[in-house]
Amino acid sequence: MPTEIRLALVIGLVALAGALGAVWRLKTGRAKAIDRGEVIDLPRLQATKDGALVTKFGKRVTFLQFSSETCSTCKQTARLFRELEETADDVLHIEVDITNRLDLAKKFHILQTPTTLVLDHNGRVTSRIGGAPKQSAIEQQLGSFAI
Amino acid sequence: MSTQIDPRGPRFGASITATLLAVDVFLSLDHATFAIAHALLGVITVSFLWGALRGPAKHPYGLLFKKLIRPRLEAPKDLEDSAGPQFAQLVGLLVAGTGFVLGIFGIEIGLSIAAAAAFIAAFLNAVFDYCLGCQIYIGLKRVKIIR
Repeated sequence: MPTEIRLALVIGLVALAGALGAVWRLKTGRAKAIDRGEVIDLPRLQATKDGALVTKFGKRVTFLQFSSETCSTCKQTARLFRELEETADDVLHIEVDITNRLDLAKKFHILQTPTTLVLDHNGRVTSRIGGAPKQSAIEQQLGSFAI
Repeated sequence: MSTQIDPRGPRFGASITATLLAVDVFLSLDHATFAIAHALLGVITVSFLWGALRGPAKHPYGLLFKKLIRPRLEAPKDLEDSAGPQFAQLVGLLVAGTGFVLGIFGIEIGLSIAAAAAFIAAFLNAVFDYCLGCQIYIGLKRVKIIR
């Protein structure tokens, strides 16, 4: 194959990868509103926070983050939510590792981690964020639960 | 088994791997240079095998990062678990290894396609911080391809 064509193919490949990456970046971490979402069953979730079982939702909003052991962006996401929690005591962050909780992965149709469910004060799912949440998506969610 | 590492290390490694894979695709597209491409993909496959078995921190690229790049950077905000990048190396091993085997059977286009696929993953990892462990690990577990 002539060098020019080979070069063109490789450049095309790089462009394709760049386009895929740009589309992924654009789509990941955005909140999708859920109509008539279900109410999260806390006893079934068996989530713990600082060693204690979580039994109550956040007074304003709860961010329920599903993580896995091979997920590098889950940690950054958890830190983001923890920082948020420190500034507002009516915001709760719950993190659940689904690596060995495939029942939960199946129930919530989770294919990627982190996946974050946004819950109102009754624990009803109102939005879903696939991938590491964008700062703007979190702010928008907080805004929608403003008191 | 897993350790906490600087998340920029695996991305540095991925940029080397992506560059090598782009060169490999270029070389594989001409019959005259196919043997070189085959050998290069062999080296890349071994590199993936190393990463999959011993983890990114003990990989030559990881050591290179620690010695040359890390001292010039600020401390990372978060550390990540090495399990994620190690899983990505395993995926890379399967794809590059498949291409290498196809090369043995003289299926040149098969090698080119495998190298191109591995390139896209490595490029996305290096440039966009795309993490295979976040995107496909739970999905593969759910369909029981991995345990």
